[in-house]
Amino acid sequence: MAVEQFNLTKGQRAERKLLITVAEWKEGSGSVREILGTRTEDSSIEYNPDIETTTDILGINYTDLNKTQPQQDFDPYLVLGGSKLGALLNDIRRRNALSELNQFTMYIITAFVGDSSTGYAAEKHEGCTITYNSMGGDANVNFPISVYFSNDITTGKVDKLADDFVFTPDNA
Amino acid sequence: MMVDKNQAVIDYLIQCPAILNSPLYFNFIKAETDTNQFVTNSNDEYTNIRYVDGSVLKQYTFTIVTYKSTADIPIVKLGGYPNENMSDILDIQSLIDWIKEQEEIRNYPDFGSDCVIDSIRTTSENPRLDGIDDQVIPNLAIYSVSIEIRYIDNSKKIWG
Repeated sequence: MAVEQFNLTKGQRAERKLLITVAEWKEGSGSVREILGTRTEDSSIEYNPDIETTTDILGINYTDLNKTQPQQDFDPYLVLGGSKLGALLNDIRRRNALSELNQFTMYIITAFVGDSSTGYAAEKHEGCTITYNSMGGDANVNFPISVYFSNDITTGKVDKLADDFVFTPDNA
Repeated sequence: MMVDKNQAVIDYLIQCPAILNSPLYFNFIKAETDTNQFVTNSNDEYTNIRYVDGSVLKQYTFTIVTYKSTADIPIVKLGGYPNENMSDILDIQSLIDWIKEQEEIRNYPDFGSDCVIDSIRTTSENPRLDGIDDQVIPNLAIYSVSIEIRYIDNSKKIWG
């Protein structure tokens, strides 16, 4: 399949808001989604590559990338009214129900690839873990979290940029 | 929908007795006792905080300037001898106290559906005396209170 080009004019920088991380989890008979990053100024997906480099007797380097362990931190992640994920994580924290932290499906949506008519490129990671790292702060309660992506990836597209998007796998 | 924030703030401020009970002028000086001036301030773009979801934390600041006639009577440390200058400043303090009360109950101006007010506060605990105009009779004291509204502008968010 041909590589789909960025939906940007030549030289145009992609705004940060075009890289979207969405959490999804089961609740009752349905599922709930929430975009991450509200009131977070800076957050990146760190791929944490596991690299092994050897050098032969001619001085040539050979680098093997064994795996990546993608992770994204959200700090601050404020306790905000209306945050369903924040409320869920706080409930898990109170019960120390750690096994419930790996129930998440994560979507990474690259809205600079595709558009509203063809859909936006997305990756679905199943079986992801979200951890809470601390709780407190100064004027407002901060509850920073880290997302650990599973790399159990299905690539596809989402039809719109809203909680009720439909994800369609590429080979569907 | 774009909302005139100046009008929204005026509509909000007139709920305050200290503002409602005195003439309020907008960016216009009428130097008479017990008049209030709503003075718009510039809001520096560089103070905006941009979030990864496209929302932006912005500030809207303005100043209420109040003129009060002054008395040239020294303070008398006896009951029943109120000092006009000291009681005047309490009138202005009531605006500051009102703003604090609104913050506690989260009663904010309506900046429209694209904006969520985060907080409202005065930038000082008490009124600032900017000067005394001694070219008029009676002399006029010029007090001011600056008020800062922090709000989230969601108009550039792309997530519905």
